[in-house]
Amino acid sequence: MFRNIWLKELKEQLYTWKGTLWLVISSLTFSLISYLLLTDKELSLLDQTEMMWMLAKVIISIGLLIVSIDASSIISNEFEKETAESLFLSPIKMKDFVSGKLLASLTLWLLIFIVSIPYILVTSAGTKLFFPFFYYVFLLGSLGVFGFIMLIFAISLLFRSSKNTLTTSLVVLLALFIPSLFSTTLKNNSFALALGKVNPVDNIFSSLDNVLVDYQTSLFHNGQFILPLALFCLITLMFLVYATKRFKQAGVVKNG
Amino acid sequence: MKTIISINNLTKSYGSIKAVDSLSLEIAQGEFFGFLGPNGAGKTTTIRMLTGIIEPDNGEIAIAGNAYPNLKPILHLIGVVPESRGFYEWMTAKEYLLFFAQLYSISNPHKKIDELFGKVNLSERKNSAIATFSRGMKQRLTLARALINNPKILFLDEPTLGLDPQAQEEIQNLLKQLNQNGVTIFLSSHQLNEVSNLCSRVAIVNKGRMVVQGTIAELQKKTNLEGSTLKDIFLALTNNNHV
Amino acid sequence: MDDIKRLLMLGVLGSLLILSMAYAYAENQTINQPLTLRILSEKTLSGTAGDFATVKAQINNSGLQPLNDITTYISLVDESNKMPVDLEDWSAEKGLFIGTIDAGQALPLNWKIHFVKAGKYSLIIVAEITGQEIPQVSGIVHFTVNSKRNLNPGQVLPVALGTPIVVLFIMLLLNYKRNSSKSS
Repeated sequence: MFRNIWLKELKEQLYTWKGTLWLVISSLTFSLISYLLLTDKELSLLDQTEMMWMLAKVIISIGLLIVSIDASSIISNEFEKETAESLFLSPIKMKDFVSGKLLASLTLWLLIFIVSIPYILVTSAGTKLFFPFFYYVFLLGSLGVFGFIMLIFAISLLFRSSKNTLTTSLVVLLALFIPSLFSTTLKNNSFALALGKVNPVDNIFSSLDNVLVDYQTSLFHNGQFILPLALFCLITLMFLVYATKRFKQAGVVKNG
Repeated sequence: MKTIISINNLTKSYGSIKAVDSLSLEIAQGEFFGFLGPNGAGKTTTIRMLTGIIEPDNGEIAIAGNAYPNLKPILHLIGVVPESRGFYEWMTAKEYLLFFAQLYSISNPHKKIDELFGKVNLSERKNSAIATFSRGMKQRLTLARALINNPKILFLDEPTLGLDPQAQEEIQNLLKQLNQNGVTIFLSSHQLNEVSNLCSRVAIVNKGRMVVQGTIAELQKKTNLEGSTLKDIFLALTNNNHV
Repeated sequence: MDDIKRLLMLGVLGSLLILSMAYAYAENQTINQPLTLRILSEKTLSGTAGDFATVKAQINNSGLQPLNDITTYISLVDESNKMPVDLEDWSAEKGLFIGTIDAGQALPLNWKIHFVKAGKYSLIIVAEITGQEIPQVSGIVHFTVNSKRNLNPGQVLPVALGTPIVVLFIMLLLNYKRNSSKSS
C-alpha cells in the first residue's frame, strides 16, 4: 500500500510543478558552480580533485536542503489541507503511510542525483575518479538524506504543522552545516573534534575529502565516516518510531 | 433485528471539556439512524470514535462484531463522509477515486469508478481537476469516495451541507436507495427535514450527553409534543439552542 | 746608512701589514666559503599553473669543521611585476632546518611547490647559519609557469546550458502527456 502513497506523492511533485521547480533549481545551481569551477580564471587554478570535492559538497548540500524543505510539508500538508482523515479512514497502515512518504522524499533526492550526473562526468573528465566520485556522492548523500528525512518526519508527526517543521528542520540543518564549514584550525580543541566525529554533515564532507583529495576510495578507508552516518540514521529511525507512537496515541485528528 | 453498532458509556474529554459524556446507543442492521444535536454537542467526536480516527477515554464500541480497540477490520465495512473535507486538489476526480480504490484493493477499479460517477452525477466532470469543482460537486465526490468499497455501514457527517435543494434531493434519493439495498446509515445532520424524511430512528444529543432516542412518534410521546415537528422537539430538548 | 735602516724598517712593517691582511682575509674565508648551495632541478621547474613540482637542491659543507643550526628557505620573485611572491599558496614547507652538516658532507634539500599563477619567476635558496651575519645564497634559477588551458570549457558549456533545458523539457512532456490523457 505504501506504493500508492509513494506514487501519489510523485505525481503531486510532477503535476503541481513543485518537483520541476526543485530539479530546475538544482540543475541551474550545478551549472553555475561547474561552469565557474572549470572556466573562471581564479577557480580553475584549483587542483581538479579540489574542484570535484567542491562540486560533490554542493550536490549533497543542495540535495539535503531541497529534500528537507520538501519533506517538511509532505506529512504536515495532510493535516493542514484536511486530507488526513479521509486517508486514515481507508485501510491504510501507519507504516505504509510513513514509508510511502519516505520513499517519495528519497526519490526526489535520487532525481537530484541523476540531474547531477552530467556535471560529475564533466568535472571528473581526465581523472580516474569518476566512479568513486559517482558512488560516494550517491552513498553519502543517500545516507545523509535518509537520516534527515526521518528526523523531519518525526518532527512533522509531532508538530503537524509545516511551518513549525520547516523552521525546526532548517535550524537543525544550519546547526550541523555551520561547524562543518569551519577551517581545520578552528577544530583543534577536543570539543570541536568530538562534534566533528558525530556531525553527519562533517562526516559526509570529510569522507568526500578522503575519497577525492586523498584518493582513499575503499569503503574500509571511509568506514570511520560512514559508520557515524549509519548511526545517525539509526537514531533518527528510533525518533521516528517514537513520534509515530505518539501520533497514534493522539489520534489522526487532534481535538476532534 | 441484529445490532450492528453498539455504544456503551462512551466518553471523550478535551482537557476539562467533556465532548462526549457516557453515551450509549444501539443501531440495528439496515437502519437509517439520525444523530442530531446543536453545534458542539459531540456528534463529530462520536463519529470519529466510531470510525477509529480518535480513541475514546472510556466506554465500549462494537461495530459488526468488532469491539474497540480492534476496530481496524471495520475499515473495509464502512464508508465515511467526514466533517473535514480536504481534497488533493491537483488530482482529477477520476484520479482521486482511483487512488482510494487502490487503497481498498478494489478489483476492476475503473468500472467501479464509472458506476459511482453515474450515481453521484459527476460523469461529465470526472477528468476535471478537483480544484475547479464547486462545493456541491466536492460533496458528491466525497460521497462517491465513501461508497468506493461497497460499505455495509455509512457514517455521514453533514453530507448535504452547503448544497442547493436540487443537489440535496439527489443525494437524499441516493441514500434512500442505498438504505433500501441494506446499507445501515448513521446520519449526523442539521437538516431536520432531511432527517425526518430519511431516518427511521433518531437520537438527540446535547453537551455530549444523550437526551432522547427513538422513532419520531416515540420522541413526540416522550416529550409530550404530539403532532409537533422534529424541529419543535429538537428545540424543546436542546434549550432552544440554534440548529 | 740611516736611509737603508729606514727602508728595512718600512719593508718589515709593510710585510707585517700584508701578512696581517692576508691572515684576516684567510680567516674570513674559513667562515663563509665552505657552505655552498646549488639548485639541481633547474631544467624541470617549468610547468603549467595548477601543477605541482619539486625544487631539488643540495647544500654542501666543503670546509674542515662541521657546521650547526642552519636554516634554509626558498625565495621567489615575480620577474614580470618585479615583486617578491607571497609563498602562502605556493609551498606548505617554507623553511628546512639542518641541525648539523659534517665537514665534507652534502645534503639534499627538497621543496614541493604549487604553481599558482602563470608568469616568469626567479628562485633562490638561502641558508642562514646561526650566529653569522651574512647568509649563503644559491645561484638564481629562472623558470616560467605557463597559463592554464581551462580544463574542458568545450564540455562544460553544453552541459551547463543543456541540463536545465532537458530537465524542463522532460517535465513539460510528462505534464503534456497527463493533460492529453485527461481530455481523451
